[in-house]
Amino acid sequence: MAALVKSLAALACAFALIAIILLALGASSVAVLGALIEGAFGNRLAFTETIVKATPLVFTGLAISIAFEGALWNIGAEGQLIVGALAAGALGPRLGSWPHPIAILAMLAGGFMGGALWGGLAGWLKSARHVNEIISTIMMNFIALQILSWAVHGPLIEPGGAYPKSAPIAAAAELHLYFAPSRLNLGMLLAVILAIASFVLLYRTTIGLRLRALGRNPRASRFFGIGIGTLTVGTMALSGALAGLGGAVQVAAITHRLYETLSPGWGFEAIAVALLARLNPLGVVPCALLFGALDNGSQAMQRAAGVSPELVQVIQALVILILLAFDAGLFVAHRGESGFGCTLPPAGFEEARDA
Amino acid sequence: MLRARSITRRFGATIALDAVDFEVAPGEIHALLGENGAGKTTLMRVLVGATRPDAGSVTLDDIALRPGSPRDALDAGIAAVHQSPMLFERFTWEENLALGGRSSTADAARERAARLGFELPAPGTLVEQCALAERVRLELMMALGFEPRVLILDEPTGVLAPSEVAAFLALLRALRDEGRSVILVTHKLDEALAVADRVTVLRRGRVMASMAASETGAAELARLMIGELSPTHEMPSHLGHAGSAQLELVDVTLNEHGRCILDHVALAVAPGEIVGIAGVEGNGQAELVEIIAGVRRPTAGAVRTRRLAIISQDRDLDGLVLPLAIWENLMLSRPLVKRFSRAGWIRRAGAMRFAGVLLERFSIRPSDPNLPASALSGGNRQRLAVARALASEPHAIVAHNPCRGLDLAATAEVCRALTGFAAQGGAVLLISSDLDELLALSTRIYVMNAGRIRALGADEREPERLGILMAGKWR
Repeated sequence: MAALVKSLAALACAFALIAIILLALGASSVAVLGALIEGAFGNRLAFTETIVKATPLVFTGLAISIAFEGALWNIGAEGQLIVGALAAGALGPRLGSWPHPIAILAMLAGGFMGGALWGGLAGWLKSARHVNEIISTIMMNFIALQILSWAVHGPLIEPGGAYPKSAPIAAAAELHLYFAPSRLNLGMLLAVILAIASFVLLYRTTIGLRLRALGRNPRASRFFGIGIGTLTVGTMALSGALAGLGGAVQVAAITHRLYETLSPGWGFEAIAVALLARLNPLGVVPCALLFGALDNGSQAMQRAAGVSPELVQVIQALVILILLAFDAGLFVAHRGESGFGCTLPPAGFEEARDA
Repeated sequence: MLRARSITRRFGATIALDAVDFEVAPGEIHALLGENGAGKTTLMRVLVGATRPDAGSVTLDDIALRPGSPRDALDAGIAAVHQSPMLFERFTWEENLALGGRSSTADAARERAARLGFELPAPGTLVEQCALAERVRLELMMALGFEPRVLILDEPTGVLAPSEVAAFLALLRALRDEGRSVILVTHKLDEALAVADRVTVLRRGRVMASMAASETGAAELARLMIGELSPTHEMPSHLGHAGSAQLELVDVTLNEHGRCILDHVALAVAPGEIVGIAGVEGNGQAELVEIIAGVRRPTAGAVRTRRLAIISQDRDLDGLVLPLAIWENLMLSRPLVKRFSRAGWIRRAGAMRFAGVLLERFSIRPSDPNLPASALSGGNRQRLAVARALASEPHAIVAHNPCRGLDLAATAEVCRALTGFAAQGGAVLLISSDLDELLALSTRIYVMNAGRIRALGADEREPERLGILMAGKWR
């Protein structure tokens, strides 16, 4: 509950600051916000496009949430999404003779495995070679991007094509667009199911309990017989798999082939989404929708109000900075739980409890 | 003259300090007594500017200190040694000293340490490799580096060996004779009476009494502190033991970085026995516990045991996961989570009910299993750790300093729990640096020094002799 209030307060502060910036620029904040909302929710097509834009953010947001709960700072959801997409995009054109449900499952399995490989590798490096996962996941983002670039220029390039893009996936492997011309598809449904599953995993299973214990006190975890190495590799693999699934869904439903510029940075935006959701998987869905709406509305905002679409990124950044400021205790008298679940009791807290 | 006038500090609905007056003269050792949660630490934090009081003022020689400004307090000459070491783990101890500023160089510290009879760690040792006792000494060195006029010590002797305590108290007297004010925050009556000129007793955020140490005695202070007659420690002096060992250490040896940490440690604990290991912190106890717990592998030797529960010495760092709910902390114990889960699914309702009953039985307050463990006070956290160990129905319990930092009532409860467990046929290995606790509880005692243990003869069961043995003078 307190987490929800905090997140909403951060949002309110961010929009208040934006209003001041707009005032300084001489623009009308009402007109700008109106255009933003109109662009994101104004009609059925805009609304469904917001959902489409939010879908990969749910997948990557869940990936970040699960890893961060275990204090595994996975900054590599971007790379894991790309490897997942790459696996799906490489499989896709070869699934022409398969029945539709099987082909879809194959695409998703490809994305799952690709992401799991990329995330699990960073987990293994951490547990076996003591490589800091922040460094390794950041660097593996670049490696993934280069592999994708090489693949669409080389082995996967569309036969006879001149541009760096892969062959289209088979029709059997495409996720249906049920409401054409809208691009709405089953991806969001899968994402919501996974959000619920992630919540159950974290809060209703022994593995989730161990993961949360590891994230909050790795020292104590050793004394409870928690296999830290296995848990680290497994969690990073699962985190990567979720991001990879996001990539596969994007290829199966939207792009139908691989491009170099497949992801506009969903893996990074997801960190903001997950933090705004306070790492709660169920919170990731509305937060992703919010960020999707901001992305989606930004073009309309530029057209209607003449404000640069980058303003949306400023809003997103402000939300996170304000949240972190809340956590650091800049605006409150006592320090409490910090954002990632690492707790320092405030001064005198224990004595106050006894008194 | 350091003066605090009508200091009031609230945390939420509770009052930690209620119009507290407190003053210390130069050349005075002032003991600040009180049980856990009486408000000692909060008062200390107000004095050093770490906590801003809701009302009241602090003056040093009639000059007001800015409330909530640690810098002001330090500049005025108020330095503190905190209960939990506040050091940079990944820096060497010399680097930590250098960060303390002023005259705190490694050479000066070494000289000072020699004068005080301390041994500082080897040059270049990282703080994270230092034992708890070494860290506290480092903090003292840092505080002294500021050449403070007022030195505040929060439970400083908790981790010191008896032989060190005497020297430490002598040091306090020397600091006093230099004209400094020394504030000793403690709940150890004997120490307060032995060294203090004045004594102030806090209870539930109020000053119960402030008087010259010569005008009072242990019985009166205990009554003032806990508001009732102090509970007597009734310990069964001998418990029967029969049957085969529940916990057996077979020549456990640990070598690290060319240093021998544990040297052929061999002992066995039979059902109904409480076997004590006495020793100064940092002689291999922490590593021994880790090896028994299976966290660390010995270089040679083996640990034989069936169902084992560990009560870690540092409940906040090793025993509990503070941000997790109380019931979740209970479920971190393997046998308990096995009982309340099926195929990896936690049976929440059952676990929660069980937690509620357990909290009731061990009178842990607040007794809502959904609260985070951080909501419990230190004493209640330890009760939770003990309750979890007993509830897991072990054959043997390893307790490492189980009563550290606890008040009299909580200490008595933990001791009762351990003796009760032994009386029902459990085996207890008690590793402690508190001699009273060891002598009161243990059926047999070993002394540990530099990674070796030696059995204590029946005629050696007295503090003097133990102190000599703990200093390693048996070889």
